[in-house]
Amino acid sequence: MGMGRTPPVGLMRITCTVNGKQVSADDVWAGESLLYVLRERLGLFGSKNACEQGECGSCSVYLDGKLVCACLVLGGQAEGREIVTVEGIGSDGALHAVQEAFVEAGAVQCGFCTPGLIVAAHDLLNRIPEPSTVQIREALAGNICRCTGYAKIIDAVHLAARGLAQSR
Amino acid sequence: MSLVGRGQRRLEGADKVAGVTRYTADLEMAGLLHVQIVLSPLPAARIRSIDTTGAAAAPGVVGVFTGADLRSNANGPDKPLAVDRVFYGGQAVAAVVAISESAAADAAALVEVDLEPIPAVTDAEAAMREGAPQVLDTVAETSEEDAAVHGAATAAESEPVERPPNVTAVASFKRGNVAKALAGADVVIKQRYRLAGVHHSPMEPHVAIARPEADGGVTIWAPTQGPFALREDVAKTLGVPAYKVRVVPMPVGGGFGGKVILLEVLLSMLALKVGRPVRLALTRQQEFIVGHPAPGAAFDLELGAKKDGKLVALRVKYHYDNGATSGWHAGITGSFLGGTYQIANFELTGYEVATNKTPVDAYRGPGAPQAYFALESAIDELALQLDMDPIELRLLNASKEGDPSADKSPWPRIAMVECLEEAARHPLYKAAVGPGEGVGVAVGSWGGARTPAAAGCRVEPDGTLSIVIGTPDVSGATTGLAMIAADAFGVSADKVRIQTGETDVAPHGPIAAGSQTTYSIGGAVQEAALEARRQLLEIATDELEAAPEDLEISDGRVSVRGVPDRFVEITRLVAASTEFMGRHKPIHASGRSAVLSASPQFTVQIARVRTDPETGAFQLTGYAAIQDVGKAINPPEVEGQIHGGAAQALGRALGEQLAFDGDGQLRTGSFLDYELPTADQLPDIDVRLIEIPSPFGPLGAKGVGEPPAIPGPAALANALARATGTRLREVPIDRSALVKERTGARTG
Repeated sequence: MGMGRTPPVGLMRITCTVNGKQVSADDVWAGESLLYVLRERLGLFGSKNACEQGECGSCSVYLDGKLVCACLVLGGQAEGREIVTVEGIGSDGALHAVQEAFVEAGAVQCGFCTPGLIVAAHDLLNRIPEPSTVQIREALAGNICRCTGYAKIIDAVHLAARGLAQSR
Repeated sequence: MSLVGRGQRRLEGADKVAGVTRYTADLEMAGLLHVQIVLSPLPAARIRSIDTTGAAAAPGVVGVFTGADLRSNANGPDKPLAVDRVFYGGQAVAAVVAISESAAADAAALVEVDLEPIPAVTDAEAAMREGAPQVLDTVAETSEEDAAVHGAATAAESEPVERPPNVTAVASFKRGNVAKALAGADVVIKQRYRLAGVHHSPMEPHVAIARPEADGGVTIWAPTQGPFALREDVAKTLGVPAYKVRVVPMPVGGGFGGKVILLEVLLSMLALKVGRPVRLALTRQQEFIVGHPAPGAAFDLELGAKKDGKLVALRVKYHYDNGATSGWHAGITGSFLGGTYQIANFELTGYEVATNKTPVDAYRGPGAPQAYFALESAIDELALQLDMDPIELRLLNASKEGDPSADKSPWPRIAMVECLEEAARHPLYKAAVGPGEGVGVAVGSWGGARTPAAAGCRVEPDGTLSIVIGTPDVSGATTGLAMIAADAFGVSADKVRIQTGETDVAPHGPIAAGSQTTYSIGGAVQEAALEARRQLLEIATDELEAAPEDLEISDGRVSVRGVPDRFVEITRLVAASTEFMGRHKPIHASGRSAVLSASPQFTVQIARVRTDPETGAFQLTGYAAIQDVGKAINPPEVEGQIHGGAAQALGRALGEQLAFDGDGQLRTGSFLDYELPTADQLPDIDVRLIEIPSPFGPLGAKGVGEPPAIPGPAALANALARATGTRLREVPIDRSALVKERTGARTG
């Protein structure tokens, strides 16, 4: 279990930057995942717990600018580092172009995989501003969606790429 | 201009992409305790003893419970915690309640369960053999209601014949003289088709919270597809009136038939025992063995035809592997086998078989993907033998309005022919087939469900509408309902909120299953919005001194038609009917509907593959889904349902399976082992909507969600057979068989 066993030894305080703000979490034990810290200690419920083994991508976040599954990162590893979650993708209360495109393209159904896909798609467009469909399919292959068959998610990434290109 | 038929963004979409939608596992609650369940590692056992003392003494533990502590009249496998006997691996035998999830998990590991293994059988065919261990100790009557809510009138007769062991029910459909017709057929396809059991695997695993209430009832937060069904089940077990169980319907993170009721009875009992709210969130691995999956099935099929392609006889003996429950899929399956094509002679016999595995339940089109994999594979085999175009063969035999269905009742207006004709025109079907390529088609259908429903409507101080229904949104249906309401009232869809109310105040709503949400509720929502409009205009009549028929609503105002400067803002009318010393009665509208007949839905899907002649490896190079939806209320969301359904069906064909070892252990119980289709594995899916309006559904709409999840396995197997000459009669497809056959053919 990601929340793991009751700690046999000392607990930690970790301090890191989450979505641009410096935050601290107390009573973190050595085996606790970053996903657990985000959700249960910092109250950021956007990242979803769906498999806890890095297979589904529902908890995708940035760790120092690198896309990771928060369930596979130890909370302690976040010490002093910078994390961006789905809650930090938009700015000033407005949706980011990727988020906007997901709604516009109809890429959202049950919504449970959506936060992870938003972060993964955001990362893809950072790396490859105008990806081909094949590149999108490959980049999002680590994010399982059970509702959409990925069709409109791919539309959304293309749509976001066009929007971002225009605003550049 | 009408909104219906044009694209409307999902009303709740912005919250979901921002990550601020609160699902059940995201709720915080004062005093919340956590539950961990202890699962049986054995598929069949007597419980000698359960020692809870170590667990009870563990840090943070509030209580440890076993089946002896929880009173339940449910059958053995369905009890909240096992009593005396275990019927399947993964059955919960004890529950720990503790102050944190980790404390509960730690203590659960200290529960000592002493099990005496008894013979188990986890394969349906073995279970039917003479001398097989008896899986169930009591057999529940097959629930017609279970079958019915998922959309099929099952008029199967139950056979009084002697049943093999562990067969809990037999569905039987007969017409004409099959033996004679098969003997007189020019061609007979005689084959066996099999499908593995699969799991819904919603991205959100099952989770629920139950809180005890002072009146002896409970409040339940759960991502349920059927709040009212859940309420009744829990109330019955607790022995309290239904209204004392309040269900708060939470956003459903994927349901597909699997999220109606699972953990809630156990949690309600535990909450009442400990006097505090309790939560259980399944891990993914638990989800695979605790969440009720879809059954595997096998079909022994004989299909006879004349040289000209006319079908004359169909005999199918089939069975469902239901796990530790009585099952109810076989009747639905028979309705498809016997009704899709006009066949003068058929004999369909479907066994429901119990095995020592997790009990099965409904999964998107229960009984249909199985039926159509067998039927549509056989039809394709027949087309190849007769050297006929597979669509032409189907058109020659397709059922049409007025033709008898499997239970002899006449088909209403259906659009199987239109779907087939569109398929014949589709570029994927028509394009030339190169070396190693193949194109397969398959039909699917769904009977459609219907349930009476009601809706409430009021107008908010800002002039927007709040509509309350009793059915959760599992498909985007509420955005479509908002469009219907917006059109009826005279505002834009973003001025309408559709809320799924808590069961103690919401109007009655059906379970969100059987492709019925829009179909059953659309009329009630429309009527509620029209009634709210009438009430608003009544108030405006007084304010504007004009007859109601001379008034119109636009841009947030009520104005006198043709006299645009005589108007009053909706907000003012609402104030005049809600404020202190107000002069008008508040707007409080309701609408009701009871659709009197189901509208069956048909679909045809086309798969195109390219195979490597050296290795037998294949690639899906194109896919099309053609479906009669009656009337697409919100076309992009309709397409989304079809994309997703097609992907689930392809998953079933490409790799999903619940595989058990000889000891009854699930070998594919994680996302590492259970192959869900990923973005890099699926082709583009081209959706074509056919709109033959339903005479019964709201605005002509028919159900949408289930049909797309049906034809995929047959479409793919048919494409592969045409590409390679190798017919695969089992899904998921065994790629190695494809390779072996090809290399064998080359060397042999």
